Amino acid sequence: MPEITNNIRRLRFDHNEMTQEELAQQAGCTRQTIIALEAGKYTPSLALAFRIARSFNCRVEDVFTFSEDTSTE
Amino acid sequence: MNAEQKRAWLGVVTMSACVLGYFVLLPLFGPVVATAAFAFYGINGFAGLIGRHEAVDERDTHIARRATLAGAMASYMAFVIGCMGTWFVVFAFQRQEQVWVHVLGTITMLGAIVFFFTRSVAILVLYGRHVEASDA
Repeated sequence: MPEITNNIRRLRFDHNEMTQEELAQQAGCTRQTIIALEAGKYTPSLALAFRIARSFNCRVEDVFTFSEDTSTE
Repeated sequence: MNAEQKRAWLGVVTMSACVLGYFVLLPLFGPVVATAAFAFYGINGFAGLIGRHEAVDERDTHIARRATLAGAMASYMAFVIGCMGTWFVVFAFQRQEQVWVHVLGTITMLGAIVFFFTRSVAILVLYGRHVEASDA
């Protein structure tokens, strides 16, 4: 099953300890969505993923990681 | 807790009050007067006053859409099963081929209550679970 993980929490602290509220304002979403993203409870749309990456001045791949579990049972 | 969750809690409380009130009034006054308990349903109208200026984003929209779909499915099933089930019970136990007219109103309200209750519960559940955006 494919899984998308993210480095948002680390990137926030790397960017002058940006608060969740600040990131939410820059990315155009709510703070609750940032909390859900950091907790791995939400997989964002492409548009939001790009906006978050733009907030950190980096590429989407630097924020989000796609890993596909190819193991068969 | 955001505005959508507060509205969902109001929905759960008012819909529970409707059902509870109906079953309290039913043995006391009969099935026609017991429908007065559905007046609690009107309190849900205040939901529009909760969080009017609060921002919503794609996650809120996506959760609301999924919850509405769940509510619509449950409501449709409750209405159809309620209609056919009532007719079956009346025919099977009382050998009547007609159903009392007030039953339709009760079943319609039941369908509406099931819709709002299911939608509210789904919203509360989905905010605690992993959700994927529709294009992810």
